[in-house]
This record gives sequence, structure tokens and C-alpha cells, in this order.
Amino acid sequence: MLLASASNVIQYITDSIYYGSFFALISLSLSLLFGVMGLMNFAYGELIMAGAYVMFYTRSWGWLAMIVMVVLIVTVLSLLMELVAFRPLRRAEPVVLLITSFAVSYGLEALGWMTVGTGPQKGVEPYPWLTKQSDVAGVLISKLEIVTWIVTVVLLVAMTLLIKRTSLGIQLRASTEDFRMAQLVGVRANWVISAAFGLTGLLASAVAVLYTFRSGAVAPDIGQGPLLVAFVGGVIGGLGSLAGAALGGFVLGVVLNVLQATLPLSINNHFQLFAFAAVIAILVFQPEGLIAVRTGFVRTWWRRLRPAAVQGASA
Amino acid sequence: MSDRWRRIEPVARRLWAPFALCSLLVVTWWLLDDFGGEIYQAYGIRMFLNLMIVLALQIFSGNSGVLSFGHATFVAMGAYFSALLTIPPADKTFQFLTMPHWLRSWIFPAHLSALEAILAGAGFAMAIAALLAPPVVRLAGVQAGIATLAILVMDNVFNTQTTSITRGTSTLIAVPQTTTFVSLLVWALIFVGVAYMFKQSRFGLRLRATRENVRAARSVGVSVAKERAIAWILSGFVAGAAGALYGHWFVTFSPGDFYFNTNGIDLVILPIAMLVIGGMGSVTGAVVGCYVVTVVYTFFNRWEVDGFGGTVGTAPSGTANLVLAVTFLVVLFLRPRGLAGGAELTWPTDWRLPRFHLPGRARVSPLAGGASGAEPPVEVPERPASSVE
Repeated sequence: MLLASASNVIQYITDSIYYGSFFALISLSLSLLFGVMGLMNFAYGELIMAGAYVMFYTRSWGWLAMIVMVVLIVTVLSLLMELVAFRPLRRAEPVVLLITSFAVSYGLEALGWMTVGTGPQKGVEPYPWLTKQSDVAGVLISKLEIVTWIVTVVLLVAMTLLIKRTSLGIQLRASTEDFRMAQLVGVRANWVISAAFGLTGLLASAVAVLYTFRSGAVAPDIGQGPLLVAFVGGVIGGLGSLAGAALGGFVLGVVLNVLQATLPLSINNHFQLFAFAAVIAILVFQPEGLIAVRTGFVRTWWRRLRPAAVQGASA
Repeated sequence: MSDRWRRIEPVARRLWAPFALCSLLVVTWWLLDDFGGEIYQAYGIRMFLNLMIVLALQIFSGNSGVLSFGHATFVAMGAYFSALLTIPPADKTFQFLTMPHWLRSWIFPAHLSALEAILAGAGFAMAIAALLAPPVVRLAGVQAGIATLAILVMDNVFNTQTTSITRGTSTLIAVPQTTTFVSLLVWALIFVGVAYMFKQSRFGLRLRATRENVRAARSVGVSVAKERAIAWILSGFVAGAAGALYGHWFVTFSPGDFYFNTNGIDLVILPIAMLVIGGMGSVTGAVVGCYVVTVVYTFFNRWEVDGFGGTVGTAPSGTANLVLAVTFLVVLFLRPRGLAGGAELTWPTDWRLPRFHLPGRARVSPLAGGASGAEPPVEVPERPASSVE
């Protein structure tokens, strides 16, 4: 299929940015916990699931109350998850945390099937004003896409400010660098990790709202699909760095969407094979991720340019 | 003690664990076959199939300390390959209309016997494992977990999307039912022996050395990658055989059976749960974990399905999985090395009361080995300096 016209190209671009920013949000929240405590949190999918079900049960309350409830419940669930499952294993190796997150994910999903997942297929009816596509100079854009961009950008900026400017951010970054050292200089481990889980819950509620408005259907396993894609993106970008992971998720979302639009179906279906093969290759050859390495390179280059500043900082 | 006994005792001690485990399996089979009825036999059959997968995992993860989430791949490969070679040719022609010619020419006429099919399936899974070995053996810790997970997802994408070979998401039908309860028992016994022999062999010993300390093992000339590759390929064979037996027991299967499946019986998380609950470090742990999980699961599953002999389930569907997840977490907290604690079954005259680790002091890794309960727990660093080896 050839690109037909300029408006077509713009259409691809807007759609791709929409997908990309959605996955960037998920990758960002995955990398938050991975950075602080080495936890690759597979139970994140169940946070999305929980958010979707909260939306289902509060769907008649109006959108503002609905969103408030989602944020509240998902954040509380995220904090509870830390308290019940991950706090006792604080000192465990990352791979043990990975197993634990699988157990948590498995249990929450079973809980979902037991309670809210029974009965007929549930769904949240999308608001017509949100999903209606309007024609802007030949490009179809729905308000949901615009909202997704804005939410993603706002959250990314907010996260960046929080990480760079606030005391909590400094503590989070310090814990990412060296957890034990951070504790020695007075960072309270429980506080930092709870905060990271709380932020994860906030991001997860945003993801849940955006995702459910887009897909409509609600089921106990809805979190798995987007989680896997975002996780691949995060690994490609480098789960150890927030910016790297977010960028990785964004790029993968864009690439997937572009390929979906341009490749024939038979190749497209197998594209995920290559994406995951790329994950393995990156883990073997470049475990820090592709983008994280780039930013690290920039940092080194900057330091080389300004040796005096570095010496001043280390003195 | 006579002189004769003194000579026999070391051998007897060494053979005691596999002998006792095999006796346990035989007794289980005998009880279920005679008194279990159809329902509990079905649970027994699932348990034997799971046991083989758990043993496959134990061979690799237990000895190397590198956790794999990808073994369901080998199960799927074994199941599909052996099914393709045994489905009667007449049934193949209408199931695989679009199979490419280079496969069609030898797959369609193939009609293997039960044993040949299992060996073919296992061999194919082993070949796939050999193909995947180079990246996997270079990774450890969470990176290995992610990479093996990626393998699992790739397998699922392949199985669901390659409609011409696997029928995609549709169910594969007309697989001859050649697996019986007895044959499962025999294979399970063989694999208990294989896993134990591998652990005791020089390969197993070298691999366990890399698990305890990679650098120390390397410094005495152990090639970490080579030893891991051997175990990985062997465990691919065992898992593939389990898959072939699976296919020939259930007769129909689809890709979803070999992937995350929380609303049913799951071949990805369940074997890992069994292995970690029992204790990764020993074959005893694998068997114990398999039994414990199966008993817990069966108990709650019966409750779910018919409320113990009634007609209506009295617990909501999903209870068994939830209880299993909670059990899993509790074992991880209280006894991170698993119920068997990484040790093989102790010689009867040496039996002592088990020691439990209290929460908060749980600094023992489930991945660490540990031969006996008396040994001090191994401290693990919080973050390995370099996770790629």
C-alpha cells in the first residue's frame, strides 16, 4: 500500500503519536519501579484491570466522579500491593520480585474472574463527544486522541519535574542509583518505595481511563496486551531510566502503528516475533537499553566538555 | 553394623531419594488408578504432566539458578510436532489446507507410533532449545526472566499466527490418543531418574557450582555458558516429551493452552509455582511442590466445580487459582527456599524437624541451592553488580 496523499500521511502520524504516547505512559510507570527496586511489575496489568472495572461500576456517576474513583481505588490498590506482597520481599533479588509480581498478577486476575468477571461481557459505553472523530483538514481526529496526547504530555512533564525538582524526586533518583547508599544517607526506604508505588498507581489509573474509553470492553485479562507491548518498549528503551523507557514505549507504539498501516497482514501478524527477538538481542548485547545508552553518552560528553564543573561537584 | 552394610550404605544413601520419590509416584498412580474414579484420575494425569514440566524446569533453573518462564514453549513445540506427525493423513488434508509444500511432502504421509512421536516431539523441542541456547545462557537474573518470557510470547505469536502449520487459534483435532495413565507414570519415573542423575552428574555439579558463585566456578575452569546450555537443552527435551504426552492425552489443543491462562489451568505460572513452592534446588523439591500444589488446587477446584460430590459448586470459579497465588506468596515469604529447602529427601535415620525462616529475616533466595538445613542461609546482594554474564 502506498501513501496516497498528504492528509493520509498526517493521519498516520497523528494515529501513531496517539498509540505511542499511550504506551509511553505504561513504559514510564514500569520503569519507575524497575529503577527504584529492580521490580519488573507484571501485576501492573491488573491495576489497569481494576481501573477498568471501577469505571464499569461507576459509569453512571458522570466522568469526573468516575475518574476520581479510578484514581483513588487504583492508587490504593497499588499501595496495598506493595504493603502485602512486595514489602516482605524488599531485600530479595529482582528475579524473585519478578516471580512475586507474577503471583500477584495471577491472584488478582483470579480474584477478578471470581468476583467482577462473572456473567455477561461488561463494557463502558464511550462518551460520544469523546470518541466522535472530527475532520480537521482531511485528518480524522477524535477528542480522545487529543486528550491522550495532552494527558501523556502533562504526566510526562509532571513526572520529569517531580523527578528533577522535588525532594521526593531526588530521593527516587538516589534510590535508583544505589539503594543501599541512599538509605545510608537518610532516604527512608519504605517512604520512597511507597511513593513509587503510589505514582505507579496514579499513572495506571490514567492508563486505565484512556484505555477503557478507547476499547470499551472490560474483562479480567485486558491489562495483559498493552502491558506486554509497553514492556517490550521499555526494555528497548532501557527500563533503568525513566526517559529511556518512556521514549522506548513511544517509539515502539509508533512503529507498531505505522507497520500495521503499511505492511500486509501476513507479515504484520508476525511482526511481534521480531519485536520480542529484538528484546532478547538487546538484553544480551545492550542490557541498559538503546536509548538509555545514548543519554548516558550525552552525559559523558557533557562532562568531558565541562571538567571544571564535574571537579567542583565531586570536591 | 556389618562390614557389608558399611560398603552398601553410601550407595543406598545416594539412591534413597530417587527411590523414595519413584515409590511415591507409583503408590499415587496405584491409588488413583484403583480408587480414584474418573475425576481424580484426571487430576492425577494433570499432575504427572505438570510434574514432567516441573522436572524440566528443575533441570535448568534448579541447577543453574536462572529462572525460565519460557518452558511452556517447549511443551507447545513437543505437542504440535508430535501431533503433526501422528494425525491420520486423511484428517491432515482437511485441517492443513494451506501448508507449504516443503512441509506437506513429509508431514502428510507421516504416521508415527506412540513412542516415535513422543521422541520426535521431544527431539524437536530439544532442537528449538539448542537454537535458543546462545542468548539464554548469557543472561542471568531478571534479564533471563525477561528473555525467556520474550521466548514464550514469540512462541505464542508463532502458534496463533502461523495458520498454515498450527491452524492458528483454532483447535488441532484428531490427534490419536496414545497416552495412558501408565505411560505417564513410566515417563514420570524416567524423568525423575534423569533429573536426579543430571543433578548428581559432573555436568550437574559444575552447573550447581555456577549457581553458587559464577566467578568462583569460572576461576576453576567451568564454562558457565556451556554448562547452562547442556541443562537448557536437556530440559527442552523433557518439556517437549511432556508436551507430546499432553497432546496425545487431551487429543485436542490450541495455542492458548500453552500460554498465560488465568481463567483455567495454566502451564506457564503453575509449574513455576510448583517448583518454587517445593524448592528449586532439588528433585525432591520439584516433586513435593508438584504434590502440594496439586492437592491444594484439587481441593479448591472440587469445591468450585461440584462442592465435593454435590451437583453445584459452592465456591466461585477462580477460587483455586486465588488460593494458589496466596500459597505461593506465603511460601516465598516464610520459606523462600521452598518446602524442601533445596535438599533431597533425607536418609530415614537422619530425619530432623524442619526449620522455618521467619518473615523479615527472609534474606534467602529461592534461587540459591543449599544442601542441608543446618547450613547458614546464603546472603544475596541486593543488586548484582553485573547481571549479564
